[in-house]
Amino acid sequence: MLTRRQFTQLGAMASASAALEPAAQMQMSPGVPMPAPAPPIPASPAPDFTLTIAPYLLEASPKHRFQTIAYNGQVPGPLLRMKQGRAVTIDVYNHSPDPEIVHYHGLFLPIATDGAMEEGSPMLPPGTSARYTFTPDPAGFRWFHTHTFAGNDLRKGQFSGQHGFLFIDPSTPDPNAPAFDREVFLALHDWGARMMVSGDGSAMPMYEVSTINGKMLGAGEPIRVHQGERVMMHILNSSPTEVHWVALSGHSFRVIALDGNPVPTPRTVEQLRLAPAERVSAIVEMKSPGVWVLGEVRKHVQAAGMGIVVEYANATGAPKWMQPPDLIWDYSQFSAQTGAAPATEDAIDIPLTFDSKFEGHGNPETWRINGKSYPDTEEPVLQAGKRYRLLMKNLSTDDHPIHLHRHTFEVTRLGDGPAMRGLRKDVVLIPAKSASTVEFTADHPGNTLFHCHQQDHMDRGFMMVFRYA
Amino acid sequence: MNGISGYAIFLATVFALFATSAHAQGNYEIQVYGADTVAPKSLMVELHSNFTPDGQTKTIDGVYPTNHQEHETVELTEGLTSWSEVGFYIFTSEQAGHGVQWVGDHIRPRVRVPDSWHWPVGVSLSTEVGYQRAVYSPDTWTWEIRPIIDKTLGRWYLAFNPALERTWHGPDVNQGVGFSPGFKVGYDITKVVNAGFEYYADYGRLGDFDTLRNQQQQLFVVTDLNVSPKWEINIGVGIGPTSATDHLIVKGILGRHFDWGNHSPVD
Repeated sequence: MLTRRQFTQLGAMASASAALEPAAQMQMSPGVPMPAPAPPIPASPAPDFTLTIAPYLLEASPKHRFQTIAYNGQVPGPLLRMKQGRAVTIDVYNHSPDPEIVHYHGLFLPIATDGAMEEGSPMLPPGTSARYTFTPDPAGFRWFHTHTFAGNDLRKGQFSGQHGFLFIDPSTPDPNAPAFDREVFLALHDWGARMMVSGDGSAMPMYEVSTINGKMLGAGEPIRVHQGERVMMHILNSSPTEVHWVALSGHSFRVIALDGNPVPTPRTVEQLRLAPAERVSAIVEMKSPGVWVLGEVRKHVQAAGMGIVVEYANATGAPKWMQPPDLIWDYSQFSAQTGAAPATEDAIDIPLTFDSKFEGHGNPETWRINGKSYPDTEEPVLQAGKRYRLLMKNLSTDDHPIHLHRHTFEVTRLGDGPAMRGLRKDVVLIPAKSASTVEFTADHPGNTLFHCHQQDHMDRGFMMVFRYA
Repeated sequence: MNGISGYAIFLATVFALFATSAHAQGNYEIQVYGADTVAPKSLMVELHSNFTPDGQTKTIDGVYPTNHQEHETVELTEGLTSWSEVGFYIFTSEQAGHGVQWVGDHIRPRVRVPDSWHWPVGVSLSTEVGYQRAVYSPDTWTWEIRPIIDKTLGRWYLAFNPALERTWHGPDVNQGVGFSPGFKVGYDITKVVNAGFEYYADYGRLGDFDTLRNQQQQLFVVTDLNVSPKWEINIGVGIGPTSATDHLIVKGILGRHFDWGNHSPVD
């Protein structure tokens, strides 16, 4: 019977979604100038960084291998560490078979280098290279990743291994910044996606394997620590679509920054939740000697591999995991606690309603903002220097990780939660069936992409471009 | 056991032999199966309600006529693993002059191709064994094996059930294997409403099909209402164009999915 069809086969959707062509999805907004060809790389001077995009065989474990595309033959890609305000050059070589583009996520960059075709950043054709020069800003934990269309090929775009850490050290060190002894960068990712449609007509990718830094639990090197160390963990969720909860058994996280931006109220929590593209910077005090698992809280995801061993010096034995009984996360605990200030009075409201259009039980739905799918979505016009308030009404039954390019926004309310102030982010998970608001100042002129960071959602219309007057 | 069961073959043969226009069939559970199975730690409870406004009017060899029979079948399907389930049927009949009667019970294990095999179509295989009283079916013990293939193409849904049937006890015990295919095509008009056709047939002995007039053929216009993943609603009206088939049948399926498991957010 039809209602028993909780799931259907990928093949059905692959054929039925044939109309979903990359060319259509990569169409730029009207009025956006055609991107200039990528400039050739000069013989000198040498770049600060080089990224080579090329096919790569990821060995998540000896039994789990995935042919993918990666940066510099590694997953995640290299750590790009730079200083705020000091210009850097990055040479990018595309040795993959498809046009590519690198998006520097969370930076205030001009559209030529931000890395979004929809804004006007040029794509890098296969077999070509280009040099990008920009001045890093703002300071904090950022990242870079591909910003291409995947469509029905669930190995492309964010489904691939094209992601890496980018950290911008502040131009002037903050004397009040919390001290730590060392840093660890961790990326959560999911592999082997297949699109599944549920009985209610909604669709989502399901994954075969989940990893931390490209390795399944037990397959990679442990994080080796010493008792008494304060380890700053910079954790990125680079998953194409999945929200993840992580915990480190026997330890707590002192959250000091979200999406690279210091939080008004640092808190110590037992677990972290990261939506796709979100980052958390948290200090872990190593005061429980032993061998532990840092892993996904949900049992089936950890069983799929999402975990890494944390091993104290001279400790032996099997890694220990203490299962948390629940999933806990609350953005508001990190916002200013002195009483929420009223909403900015002179902010200009931009109402945005998210919903989906049913396309058949064998097809993923298309996504809409104010009733239209990209590239037909509206293009709100921003006045430089003005404050804007996005009034987001999520009519769908999905939570959506909403991302605004080239700006940070202040989260002021999420669903039924309390009013917030001071929580600055570039991605926030908008709860299903609720209304949420964020505010931002239009202080980086140029086309600005706004989209759901779930690859399948943005591929199916969940994008729009803000234009500056 | 689908709408065309083994004992119907016997009756069709009897009618052919005696050159009458009398026919009968076992319209207790009229359903084309999809390939998916019920999830583990969950139970699907279905009530199949089938009424024959225009069917066999005579008692043939002690078998009650189907005309104006109301069949109520309870189907309980428990998920065993992510790729297997077992179903149990309780067949009943209500008819003027006979009251409410227990007809029989069947059991139906089923396995399917796991998702991890990444097959382009859904495939499963069920086998069904059961007993039915002789006043409702001369063949009292029957066995069926049913391959199930389905495919979703955008708004279209296709399912094919080329079932094979065998009598273990009854007049047709020496008849061999009968071929009883079922086919369904549906189209998602909206997210909730799917409309389409279901076709059921019993061609008779494999390799030696009955003549067309003695074959059982039914065509239903159906709608499936996808109001919730927890509920299953199927309604249809079918005609039997051959003389060996009940001429008009109204069917309905109401199903409810129950979870047994203690589902924690961290599972």
